[in-house]
Amino acid sequence: MGLINQTDEQYYLGPDGVWNSFDESYGDYQFVAIKDIINNFIISNVGEGKLISKLKRSDVAFHAQRGLQELSFDVLPSFKSFEIEIPPTLYMILPKDYVNYVKLSWVDDQGIERILYPTSKTSNPTSILQDSQYEYLFDDQNGGKLLAVESETLKKFRENNFTQRDINGSDYDLLNIHNYGRRYGIDPQNAQSNGVFFIDRAKGIIHFGSSMVGKIVTLKYISDGVATDQEMVVHKFAEQAMYNYIAHAVLSTRSNIPEYIVQRYKKELRASKRNAKLRLSNIKIEEITQTLRGKSKQIKH
Amino acid sequence: MSVSIDTVYQRVLSILNKEQRGYVTPQEFNLFANQAQLDLFEQYFYDINQFGRIPGNDTEYSDMLTLLNEKINVFETSATAAYDVNHFNLPADLYRLGTIIYENSTTKLVLDPVSGPNTPVTTIEQIEVERINANEFLYINSSPFTKPKNVRPIYVANQDGFKAYGDSELTSGIKCNYIRKPATVNWGYQMVFGEALYNASTSTNFELHASEETELVIKILELAGISTRELQLYQVAAGEEIKNTQQEKA
Repeated sequence: MGLINQTDEQYYLGPDGVWNSFDESYGDYQFVAIKDIINNFIISNVGEGKLISKLKRSDVAFHAQRGLQELSFDVLPSFKSFEIEIPPTLYMILPKDYVNYVKLSWVDDQGIERILYPTSKTSNPTSILQDSQYEYLFDDQNGGKLLAVESETLKKFRENNFTQRDINGSDYDLLNIHNYGRRYGIDPQNAQSNGVFFIDRAKGIIHFGSSMVGKIVTLKYISDGVATDQEMVVHKFAEQAMYNYIAHAVLSTRSNIPEYIVQRYKKELRASKRNAKLRLSNIKIEEITQTLRGKSKQIKH
Repeated sequence: MSVSIDTVYQRVLSILNKEQRGYVTPQEFNLFANQAQLDLFEQYFYDINQFGRIPGNDTEYSDMLTLLNEKINVFETSATAAYDVNHFNLPADLYRLGTIIYENSTTKLVLDPVSGPNTPVTTIEQIEVERINANEFLYINSSPFTKPKNVRPIYVANQDGFKAYGDSELTSGIKCNYIRKPATVNWGYQMVFGEALYNASTSTNFELHASEETELVIKILELAGISTRELQLYQVAAGEEIKNTQQEKA
């Protein structure tokens, strides 16, 4: 019996019977829900005469979710993205399911994404208020130190007028106008004119340089795959890696399991993760061929 | 499939009286019969534990686990658990609690071929409610990965019954799979000319599997031997039981 229990009409039209009206679940056959992963694992591995004779469902659920997190970080193609227009205050609030960024870029008039680079030369430290004698000021109510709303460092970073630069200029323009003869020995991390940002992790805010006002910025980031019920799914290419993750996690946290069995599942996990990553890296022969056609060009871009 | 109580009684009487070892009254027999039935019944669970630890076999009729499960299956039943003030009550005829099942009801809109677009369809998914100890509940409930949900419910048993938790405390839709107690057996009779005559309409047979007939006779004889202080009878019956047990478990 096949796994699909929808008619073609239900798949293409969705519940409202209207073509492509955003209530359909197009392409959901490529995923397995974590609930099914947990059930399948228990059926195939838990019980008398099986790998694990007795195991609580909550243990499996815990390890399955941890597995989904781990695979989300380095195996699953699960990055998310959104774009906003940067306000004059030059910041973007981190998404609620943000774990780390993949790429920040601004979009030029042609729709090309220009990569923004993080700067490590600034930050947003906690700013303590001082009186004219440079002594700290304290709160009369609770005796705590009084803090400024924002640090001077951030204020100066924001007020620094980067907009004077011709950020759309080509290398040729830059060489011609400003940097001719001066680029030798430049630090490569600063050799770009797209713009900079830094992330204030404590406050959950991304701050941008002043050249970014009004620009459309796209944040591509990874989450951990367990933020909402809808996204708790695993691509079928990584299904086996999930089973192996759970098996290894369970065996390695139990007492009285022979070490050779733990090691066996460690190897199985490593192999299945590699397999999943390879499958999900989406290598197609035609695309590789097209890329390799440029192998003998002398000047690479 | 049940074992006739009259057959067992007649056999017991026949063996007892054959060598003038005494007589068991119907009242005594009923007491012994229930004792023997419960003794055999309770032993099933320990035998399953024992045979679960050794490899079985693939024969059609002689795999011990299959045989034992077949004997217990007669008593497996399920019932909807009734919610009292702040807990679910266990069924009155419960002997061993098995799986607790939560019927998780979800409604979603589908394109129905007959009713058309956005037809609400309710599906009921049966989900096992996991048993946890009261001390584990605090940790399980406070971890975001293990916190109970309607799709991953848990229950904690207590002296009143049990409390089940999903997204919040569950108050309905709970079913119990359980092993019920065997019915109390009774050799019913009526006195005719001073003799007890079997009355099928007031009797209750053994509910144990038919294969337990001889074991029941032996166990009742053991008890009768103790009751009548007939040491030899007790020894013969006990010896027979040990021999059977050794043969079954070898």
